[in-house]
Amino acid sequence: MTDRPEFEPAQHALALYHRALSGHGCEFLGYEDDADLWQRPDTATTVRLPIRAPVSDGGSLSAAQWYRVAVTHRALHQLLGTFAFDLDRPEPLFRRLRPAGQSGDARPRLERFTGLFARPVLAIEVFAVLEDLRIDTAAPRLFGGLADSYRRVRRAALQHRPELTVLPPRAATAEALVRLSLGADSVLAPPALREPIALVTAAARRLTDPRASVESSAEAAIRIYAVLAGLPNVGVERVARPIAFADIDADIDADIDADIDDPGFGRFGAELRLEGDEQLDVRLVPVRYRDAPGPRYLGQATSGMPLQEAILRMTPDPAEPGESADEDTDDYRARSLAAERGDVDVTAAARPEPPPEPLPHDHGPDLDDYHHAAHGRLHAHGRDEFLYPEWDGVAGRYLPEWCLVRVRRPKSVRSDRNYRRALAEHGQLLPGLVAQLERVRPAGREVALRMRHGDDLDLDACIEAMIDLRTGVEPRDAVFASMLERRRDVSVVFALDLSSSTAERLPPDPAEPKRVQRILDLQRDAVTLLVEALDRVGDAYGIYGFSGGGRDDVRVSVVKDLDERRSPAMVHRLHGLVPDHTTRMGPVIRHLGGRLERSDAATKLLLIVSDGRPYDLDYGQQYGDEAVLDYALADTAHAMDEVRGRGVQPYLITVDPAGADYLRQMCDPREYHVITEARELPAALAQLYVVARAANQPAAAPANSAVYSGASSK
Amino acid sequence: MLAAPFYLPVGDEVEVFRAAYEQRIPVLLKGPTGCGKTRFVEHMAWELSGEPLVTVSCHDDMTASDLVGRYLLSTDGTTWLDGPLTQAVRAGAICYLDEIVEARKDTTVILHALTDHRRMLPVERLGTTIPAHPDFLLVVSYNPGYQASVKDLKASTRQRFLAIEFDYPPVDLEAQIIAHEAEVDAEDAQRLAFLGERLRNLDDADIIDGPSTRLLVYVAALISKGIVPRRACDVALVQTLADDREVQDAVRHVAHAVFPA
Repeated sequence: MTDRPEFEPAQHALALYHRALSGHGCEFLGYEDDADLWQRPDTATTVRLPIRAPVSDGGSLSAAQWYRVAVTHRALHQLLGTFAFDLDRPEPLFRRLRPAGQSGDARPRLERFTGLFARPVLAIEVFAVLEDLRIDTAAPRLFGGLADSYRRVRRAALQHRPELTVLPPRAATAEALVRLSLGADSVLAPPALREPIALVTAAARRLTDPRASVESSAEAAIRIYAVLAGLPNVGVERVARPIAFADIDADIDADIDADIDDPGFGRFGAELRLEGDEQLDVRLVPVRYRDAPGPRYLGQATSGMPLQEAILRMTPDPAEPGESADEDTDDYRARSLAAERGDVDVTAAARPEPPPEPLPHDHGPDLDDYHHAAHGRLHAHGRDEFLYPEWDGVAGRYLPEWCLVRVRRPKSVRSDRNYRRALAEHGQLLPGLVAQLERVRPAGREVALRMRHGDDLDLDACIEAMIDLRTGVEPRDAVFASMLERRRDVSVVFALDLSSSTAERLPPDPAEPKRVQRILDLQRDAVTLLVEALDRVGDAYGIYGFSGGGRDDVRVSVVKDLDERRSPAMVHRLHGLVPDHTTRMGPVIRHLGGRLERSDAATKLLLIVSDGRPYDLDYGQQYGDEAVLDYALADTAHAMDEVRGRGVQPYLITVDPAGADYLRQMCDPREYHVITEARELPAALAQLYVVARAANQPAAAPANSAVYSGASSK
Repeated sequence: MLAAPFYLPVGDEVEVFRAAYEQRIPVLLKGPTGCGKTRFVEHMAWELSGEPLVTVSCHDDMTASDLVGRYLLSTDGTTWLDGPLTQAVRAGAICYLDEIVEARKDTTVILHALTDHRRMLPVERLGTTIPAHPDFLLVVSYNPGYQASVKDLKASTRQRFLAIEFDYPPVDLEAQIIAHEAEVDAEDAQRLAFLGERLRNLDDADIIDGPSTRLLVYVAALISKGIVPRRACDVALVQTLADDREVQDAVRHVAHAVFPA
């Protein structure tokens, strides 16, 4: 096994691959410790994979193949409907033993199913293995290009299975099922298990039929559970002989009386229970490339809870029928249902945090990397990281390559409800705003003469051409006049402050005392309004959020890049912005100014919307607390100067009532606007944009003026 | 044209179009690029007793003159040349303006008199108005997802058409189309349609523009000419759909998963 992490470089491509196959976006996380796979279950929104693929050096299986198979397996659970289980849906392979689902039962369907069994944990183990078998059988059929990789990965997984001879009968029979699911030809098992293994195999093998569905797995699970529950889970039989899965049909025909299609087979009823049986529940050794059954089966975005625990937590306490075993149950249940329907923003703040991992900025003075973190040189890696200098106003010099800007995409909120609400709320401003913008929009056309193509003949050029013709000179063919569009006039970038203070709730509006509003909500509303207006008048725009967590982690969240087309995803990302740490404005202005500079618009505007003064964890603190504000203001002012020199006009708009005190030190009075009432932000930002746009309009040629594109006349 | 252009209906679009033609109601076809809008119009023009079809691909620089006509200079002076729209109006053809929103906005205004009860084309430079031939029908198409809002039809234009919405066909139907168009075997066609469906999941997430049926037909055409499927996917899908290396890798992984080496 290699020590080099193999997961991270391919992480993003694997996540996209998973999304393409399954149609579901998931965050991919790597985990270091693979000792207990049960503690690493996937959730509805998170896929967890080891950072090192469990493949042998020099083996025939590569890490890339292993990851590809592991991700394909997970995606196929989505594609083939594992999580869309329906108790009532018919399936074609078994005589139905499932009871009808109770309408009105709000529990997730899988939970209702496992609730039918005396041992839900065993039932879910069996169901999960059967689903794995169905998925892995379908995989090479659907993805022929992966057949070889799949074969290698399954063969490698078989080499790490426990011997049946060291397991009690129930666990040994269950293990035989796992081996069957991994494509084994035979197992070495005690002769006494021949019949139960034959019955388990007969039921499980039906799932290799292309028509098999998740409901088929449920039917098979009922039968196999019945076989396993009838076996003791204590005692070990050391004598073993090979049992070939291929011979099972002959065995059943010859001397096994039980019939999995018998109406009495697998009826829910009394089970064999020995003293201490519950303590000896079957826990199958996980198959590494498969995901451990977990909250994903219940559509939950919660992490760290294996499915069995999830099931048990939600199984009603027999002593209190109808009541939840845990007070969180209702919430889990509601979220599960909503997540399955896609109604829940599973990326929002309510999502439980993943297991604690070292924070990238956890640089305390006691740690070895403190000095480097505080004073060392930074490095940009990849195309999403950028280094910028910082102006040290105290020392009067630039600190080269001092800030690392990390560009990223914010999470998406799969709903445009807030967008529609914002438009409904502020939509009355839209017609006036569009009218104002159109008034300052210059004439978009000009007449170009002596063109090879055009709407009308250019009279002068025609006369010259006719003279040429009659004097025997070859005439020029540029005899047309054409109306040409001027290039797009305005590019604007909106930079929204995402510092943690934007999460603060505003005092209740007397008109709507129950409504909770934050600065960030108003920022979104303001941008929503403007975006609609800009789309109508045709200005190019980009929307970015910014925050900071120290000079090595200035975050720029791209809602819509300047040259990106508008899409529903833009709306989803706008509402996926979340408050996050601090406000280091200088590097953000430099970064977005550079982005605007590359645009070919005549007018380039940078509108920064903030709720307070620039501040970061290491933004002048080296000179003492009293220097922090001046240091941050000086750097921000320098950054604004720099982008002005590059043809970008910056503007600051703040809802901080004390903003004028420091903004006047940074910029011209025409370049900032202070709003004392935060709720006026949407209207104020729109008005500032109108004013900024008009003030920066390039001198336009009078409409219908003629410009010459060709050479002068002979 | 000897044979009908191949088209497999997905819904009732053939019946709706035929009814619209009989009533001479202008038709707007909405749908993503490469989903079969143009082929549908060609098919319908053939079906409607071989109506002539004039197709114009609209673009940023297209003006009203490009549609209506213009004066040209000749040795004898100036000569008027009908544009494609004027030709169609005079001859009674179906005029299909593909991606109408790409044309400059003033272009769409000249369509107004043609698409209401007047059915006439004013030709300003000739100082005349041409009544439309009784068989004339205007059909326009556009892709609402492309530069939505920035380029959109005005309500005053939209409401002169009935709209038929198109989308990529279901996998089985798309496989039939691919097999027919590129003459590949059914298995490869099915795999390509399945691959297309998978990659369109990335379109839903706004990561790429999903592959069109036309693009899948190109891949199939390469395969039918002996190019190894994975290589065909690489040149006709991976490189076409994305420039970003990681997205290319993801698209390539999906293609390699679908097609054996």
